Amino acid sequence: MEIIILPLFLSVLAAAFGSKVNKIVWGALSALTLLAMIWVKSNLNIQNDGVWHTTYDMPWFSSGIHFTLGIDGFTGLMLLLTNILSPIIIFSINRDKQKSLLPLILFMQAALNGVFMAKDGLMFYIFWELALIPIYFICLLYSSKDAFKTTIKFFIYTFIGSLAMLASLIYLYLKTKNHSFAYEELLAVQLNHAESIWVGAGFLFAFAVKIPIFPFHSWQANTYTYAPAQGSMLLSGIMLKMGLYGLIRWYMPIAAESISFYQPIIVTLSVIGVIYGAVIAIKQNDLKRLIAFSSLSHVGLIAAGFFTLTEIGIQGGILQMFVHGINVVALFYIVEIIETHSGSRELSGLGGLAKFNRLFAALYLIVVLGTAAVPFTNGFPGEFMLLKGVFDYNTISGVFAGLTIILCAVYMLRMYQFSMLGESKTSFKEIGIKQLWPLIILVVIILVIGISPMLILDKVNPSVQKIMLEISNSKGVLS
Amino acid sequence: MIGIFITFIGAILVLFLGISKQESSSKNLSASFLFLAAILSLVEALGFANFSSIATWAPKTMIDFSQGEMMFVSLLAAVTSAIIAIFPSSNHKGSDKLGLMMLSLTGAFMMIGANHLVMLFLGIEVLSIPLYVLAGSDKLNLNSNEAAIKYFLMGAFSTAIFLLGCAFIYGGTATLSLTEIEVRMSIVGHFAEFPSLVKAGVVLMSTGLLFKVSAFPFHFWAPDVYQGSPNKITTFMAVVVKIAGFVAFSNFLQAFSALSGWNNQWIILLSVLTIIFGNVVALSQKSVKRTLAYSSIAHAGYLLLFLITPMQGNMWVLFAYSVAYALSTVVLFYFNDKYSTNGEFGFSMFTGLFHSNKSAAILMTIALFSIAGIPITVGFTAKYYLFTSAFDVSPIAVCIALIGSAISIVYYFKGFKNIYEVDINMNQLHASKIHWIVYMMVAVSIVLGMCPYLFERCF
Repeated sequence: MEIIILPLFLSVLAAAFGSKVNKIVWGALSALTLLAMIWVKSNLNIQNDGVWHTTYDMPWFSSGIHFTLGIDGFTGLMLLLTNILSPIIIFSINRDKQKSLLPLILFMQAALNGVFMAKDGLMFYIFWELALIPIYFICLLYSSKDAFKTTIKFFIYTFIGSLAMLASLIYLYLKTKNHSFAYEELLAVQLNHAESIWVGAGFLFAFAVKIPIFPFHSWQANTYTYAPAQGSMLLSGIMLKMGLYGLIRWYMPIAAESISFYQPIIVTLSVIGVIYGAVIAIKQNDLKRLIAFSSLSHVGLIAAGFFTLTEIGIQGGILQMFVHGINVVALFYIVEIIETHSGSRELSGLGGLAKFNRLFAALYLIVVLGTAAVPFTNGFPGEFMLLKGVFDYNTISGVFAGLTIILCAVYMLRMYQFSMLGESKTSFKEIGIKQLWPLIILVVIILVIGISPMLILDKVNPSVQKIMLEISNSKGVLS
Repeated sequence: MIGIFITFIGAILVLFLGISKQESSSKNLSASFLFLAAILSLVEALGFANFSSIATWAPKTMIDFSQGEMMFVSLLAAVTSAIIAIFPSSNHKGSDKLGLMMLSLTGAFMMIGANHLVMLFLGIEVLSIPLYVLAGSDKLNLNSNEAAIKYFLMGAFSTAIFLLGCAFIYGGTATLSLTEIEVRMSIVGHFAEFPSLVKAGVVLMSTGLLFKVSAFPFHFWAPDVYQGSPNKITTFMAVVVKIAGFVAFSNFLQAFSALSGWNNQWIILLSVLTIIFGNVVALSQKSVKRTLAYSSIAHAGYLLLFLITPMQGNMWVLFAYSVAYALSTVVLFYFNDKYSTNGEFGFSMFTGLFHSNKSAAILMTIALFSIAGIPITVGFTAKYYLFTSAFDVSPIAVCIALIGSAISIVYYFKGFKNIYEVDINMNQLHASKIHWIVYMMVAVSIVLGMCPYLFERCF
């Protein structure tokens, strides 16, 4: 509960005193949530044994709907991601935008923590929607031209998705024995084949739009491009993970009966997305668009990995969710620095920036290598496990998904080469160390995870085992 | 019953005391009368006091208020009191408009409490006749005159159909009392003799009621009448008439619960058509007021979904939706009234609002979220309750309603484009202060959104 209340309280404070206090203070305050997490964990004496422990429970709405929060290894990892990235996103705010952006970002942090902790179907939906509101305003308030059309498209697209999920949830609710939205009750519902396909469709539509899986991605590139840097970071770094999280936590165990029906479809679409995103990214000139499509490609691979239902695929996917969050926020941070210091984010107008600031160039290179999944950076273990999973499931999909390694290296190195190397075409203002140290934190995380991925895998493993058990249990009911 | 008394006495007092004064001087008097009526009805509904002794002369077979119906009385009285208080009053002499509004409200209460078809008919007439006058009360405005004559002709016509339905039902069941009808309808043998007569009667009477709540295909008057009438009256029509209409409608259909399987078929069809029509047509509207008019048609469609659920013991769902709808509609009409000038009816009246008046922009944003049904506002709670209770009966209708509310986002959020736009020439109108009741209403819609169990406790 504290994990949600704290940022919410801070966002109210920020609405009142946002511009008077330095953003570093706000960032530090927002990072306090990490402490709250540790406090909750030690206070309730929670073991990492795969069980989704309830940390807070209060009746809400009518008798069947509770305000229930829970934590386990998987949720903990997502909370860690959210609460590491939120302070970093706050550090990246420009002073003149601080007043409006701060409360919105802190509100978003609270809502995202809620999404990952919600143990009640309706709660999950409410937090899911609440996370959408601040990002809508972040995009609307500080975006460039044509913003309204893009943001409203994004909002409606995701809103329709959420409503489909709500319909599925209500259907399940009416099917439960005592009319309840509790996670365990929803798990216990037995659906026949036709029902499970409809219910699954509702969930999948919501998640596929958010992730986004290939044909549902059309909102993504424009929204990222027009949104302010903080909006793009929040969207790609954390919000996409909501969809993936929902897939594993909500869709798969609850509508497990429909997985075998959707499995080939989603894996194929995801692999198409992997290649499609990568190929388009190669041709992009705008750095933000390039990252948007690279994100489409990476996230597609994670979705494919989840749907292989192999242990290695799911583990790798969860690891990659964390890693992709870190990498993509680092990339957007770099783009923000380049744009504010040279005035352009078009590849054709950049070049030779490396010689202006060596430290920046080095950090940038590590992030690029991390995204391109070079061994000993964080991208490698997750991507390797995902590809192994997809390969085990189906050789042909595996081969096509494997192309991502080559394609990703192409667009990432191209991005680095055109912006940092060669002749310099623009001036580049001096970058203070003040602006670089959030990037240094991210790079340290990239290297640490790259060298020792077990730090994360060990934490997540019990939850993965538990979830896979739940999936196979409910599939077993059918056969 | 206490609600009707106070409102009626207040109406007469306001009419006579205000003869020689200006309208604004009677404003506080009538608002406080209505507020008193709201409080006393609430107190009685919650069981803290009992005023039934003053209602002894009224035959229970004709009119009787259950606990739930008193909640509706309290809600409508409170909303009307807020409407009178927050909208600016004209400078004409005489407080006839306020008096007529209160008389019309008395009619709404009669509809809510009616146990007898004659009482229901009386209620509808007492509600409508002052409204015909009020719609045309801006007498120098051609649109207002058009609204009055349209509303009058269509209303009179629908009343005639309603009466024909009464006659058919009397022919079929030999009684006009709703409780008696319910008993007779449940005796299969009796009903089997005249099925078509009763069915025809139900459909004809429903037509009259559907007209009042502006549901498809009897909605054509609504946009024109809403646009032409003065803002205060439009708000009153959109909120009070619709809610009273739905309470009366559900009471009426409960008497025919034996027919519910057959009734549900056409109600579902009408509901789906109303939702689609209201939402889709609202998309292309340029004027804020017309957009709100079509949005109120769409909300009538959602409310029709309530009529297919087993309504007995479920009235709090309708109450929750009425509260949500009333709070956000009144706030939005208030802002429309405040910022529209002679030449300006479109969304551009809100341009730059966020930068010129932050609190107004935030209030409006919350009201729009609530009417669109976004979580932690009462709008979401109400929609959730309504859709969950209707899902069992017709999942498809609920899915269409969900799609409808997704469409509605487009036109509700149209305003955001203007509100959050940076405008160099500040709109002078934006600077003016906002009435404190509006703050209260928005606060209530957030509080009820976060503590939805309050609704269930009340009934």
